[in-house]
Amino acid sequence: MKKFLTLLKKEIQELLTPQMLVPLLVIVVVFVFVGKIIGKETSKAKAPQAIEILDLDKSATSQQVISIIEKTNFLPNVSHSGGAEEVIAKAKEKNAKVALIIPSGFEAGIKNFQPQKMEVYTIMKNFSVMASVNSQILKAALGAINDGLSNQLLANSNPKIDPIAIKQPVLADDFVVIGEKQANISPTLVSGFITSQTTFIPIILFLVIVLASQLIATSIATEKENKTLETLLSSPISRKAVVASKLMAAGLVALLTAGVYLFGMRYYMSGITGGAIGGAAATDEASKAAIAQLGLTLSTPDYLMLGLSLFLGILAALAIAIILGSFAEDSKAAQGVVAPLMVLVLIPYILTMFLDVSSFSSGMKILIWLIPFSHPFMAAPNLLLGQTSSVWYGILYLAFFFVVFVFIAAKIFASDKIFTMKISFKKKRP
Amino acid sequence: MPNAVEVKNLSKAYGNIKAVDDISFDVAENEIFALIGPNGAGKSTTLRILATVLTLSDGGASIYGLDVRKQADKVRQIISYLPEEAGAYKNLSGISYLRFMAALFSDEKNKQKEYIDMAVLICGLGNRLKDKVKTYSKGMTRKLLLARTVMTRPRLAILDEPTSGLDVINALEIRKIVRDLSLQGMAVLLSSHNMLEIEFLSHRLAIIDKGKIHDIGTAGQLKEEYSASNLEEVFMKLTINK
Ligand SMILES: Nc1ncnc2c1ncn2[C@@H]1O[C@H](COP(=O)(O)OP(=O)(O)OP(=O)(O)O)[C@@H](O)[C@H]1O
Ligand SMILES: [Mg+2]
Repeated sequence: MKKFLTLLKKEIQELLTPQMLVPLLVIVVVFVFVGKIIGKETSKAKAPQAIEILDLDKSATSQQVISIIEKTNFLPNVSHSGGAEEVIAKAKEKNAKVALIIPSGFEAGIKNFQPQKMEVYTIMKNFSVMASVNSQILKAALGAINDGLSNQLLANSNPKIDPIAIKQPVLADDFVVIGEKQANISPTLVSGFITSQTTFIPIILFLVIVLASQLIATSIATEKENKTLETLLSSPISRKAVVASKLMAAGLVALLTAGVYLFGMRYYMSGITGGAIGGAAATDEASKAAIAQLGLTLSTPDYLMLGLSLFLGILAALAIAIILGSFAEDSKAAQGVVAPLMVLVLIPYILTMFLDVSSFSSGMKILIWLIPFSHPFMAAPNLLLGQTSSVWYGILYLAFFFVVFVFIAAKIFASDKIFTMKISFKKKRP
Repeated sequence: MPNAVEVKNLSKAYGNIKAVDDISFDVAENEIFALIGPNGAGKSTTLRILATVLTLSDGGASIYGLDVRKQADKVRQIISYLPEEAGAYKNLSGISYLRFMAALFSDEKNKQKEYIDMAVLICGLGNRLKDKVKTYSKGMTRKLLLARTVMTRPRLAILDEPTSGLDVINALEIRKIVRDLSLQGMAVLLSSHNMLEIEFLSHRLAIIDKGKIHDIGTAGQLKEEYSASNLEEVFMKLTINK
């Protein structure tokens, strides 16, 4: 046991080099930084925006329009004389991004059932999402204006009928059904919520598997190249301890990396979803209740299962990487020999990201289920959908896979295959 | 008391390549025994088999009566092996490398300290031991590894080209150390391309070529037998005539 700890310490010291840690830190800093900037920009967009309004009508209706605009998060600056040029100049001067002109004859036209036009000027300084946010909000305001005015018109012409009944005789009431459960919520809100909760899991898993398997394969190849492995295997230590210490060290480094990525991603995501442009993020109380009613939240045992599935996925990848690394003669070849593993991870990563695996033909489904790495990728959505048994199946399969491959790795280390089998990427000498 | 090394009809093939072909030799206790032969003769292969790193294909080999195949665990406790062109862990300092290896050979703190003290003395790297191994020159690394190999006072030291890459003074020093340790009861099996070194160090030597041993004897015996004035001539006569 003491010797195992000695080995483990050495492995960790060899893995945690500045060359490995610096890129990791850089990634996190970038994530945090980008998240911060996006968060700042979105809260800026959320703050009331200046709008320049030229009201040439000066009527009760134009007043009503301005007050609706004010309610939709704008700070209007109203003037009553001049033309388009003046109002644009004023907007520019005050750094307002939108200017609006209410024409004279506005109220009279509306009362005579003639549609009226308001000129809307959006001052664009770049073409990012943020740049068009204001005019989109203004569109929403226009919707509210139309709604209010048409209600009034309808009410004036026939006070007995509810205007809503005329404008929208048919309404959709959205329900989402998951398994036995159902809730009164729109499907866009549900999928938006799930995406915001789970998208970073496959990305992190993929990054961590790639990194950790390359680390472990390189470590074995380097030890072969430097002959330190020969020294190690002629020393009075068990070869199982050598394999186990390599696995464990790489596993710990993988966990550390995952933690660091998770921290960075969380920061990044909270920056994005905190703002108005987060899309269909279900943040209000009613939606939260509906999502809970659908069972779309992870309980503590769910989180434990998810963690187990992800960790076993990483361990299985490491066990394969040890075997692949044994084929490499030097550290350069190590990058090449792990390629088959990368393909095995990439296939389920891409498939589960873009497609609905449950709708595949049964042959395809079996194929995907046979790839061990499909299971950790599908674990989070399956847990949310309450398909616990398929997650358990995945965990057992991964554990089985891990044990078998560790066994093979131990066999390779126990024989002299570790030194005699090789794939050389160099040209054979004649 | 069994011999330090007994090799009987040993063969090893890598796939189709027969690297070692039916060789036999013994190394007595306290003896320094050398394998000499051209590149690719099978010297390293023989040493790796005796160090329990490779498994033999045919024949048998034992260290102090312990079978290298069936009792590999026990063999590993009494031998120490220095591979040719070996390196150490690049991100460890010289001293942590010695600590790491000492901890693999013994769980006892005072034993470990004894090993490390001896290695520090032998390698003569002084303050440079605190630096990372990747900053060492080839010769410095070699001295560190040699010190590591003998620090555990193995009953058999297996040294594959121990002084390759060392300058004259360092090589001389190392030879003296090996010689002293053998006088204290350590058997040594080494390979070398340096005939001077072999004449100075080894009690007996075997000339090996294309996986086969052509002759075994003391340097004097072989020189007389082949009426040569030095070992280099013996070597040339034996390997080129074949
Ligand atoms: N891992 C291996 N796979 C295949 N063939 C090998 C391997 N290692 C050595 N050989 C072959 O076995 C033969 C003996 O090699 P070995 O390394 O034992 O020679 P050597 O006497 O130590 O040579 P040198 O003086 O160059 O170190 C050579 O033909 C070599 O090509
Ligand atoms: Mg050799």
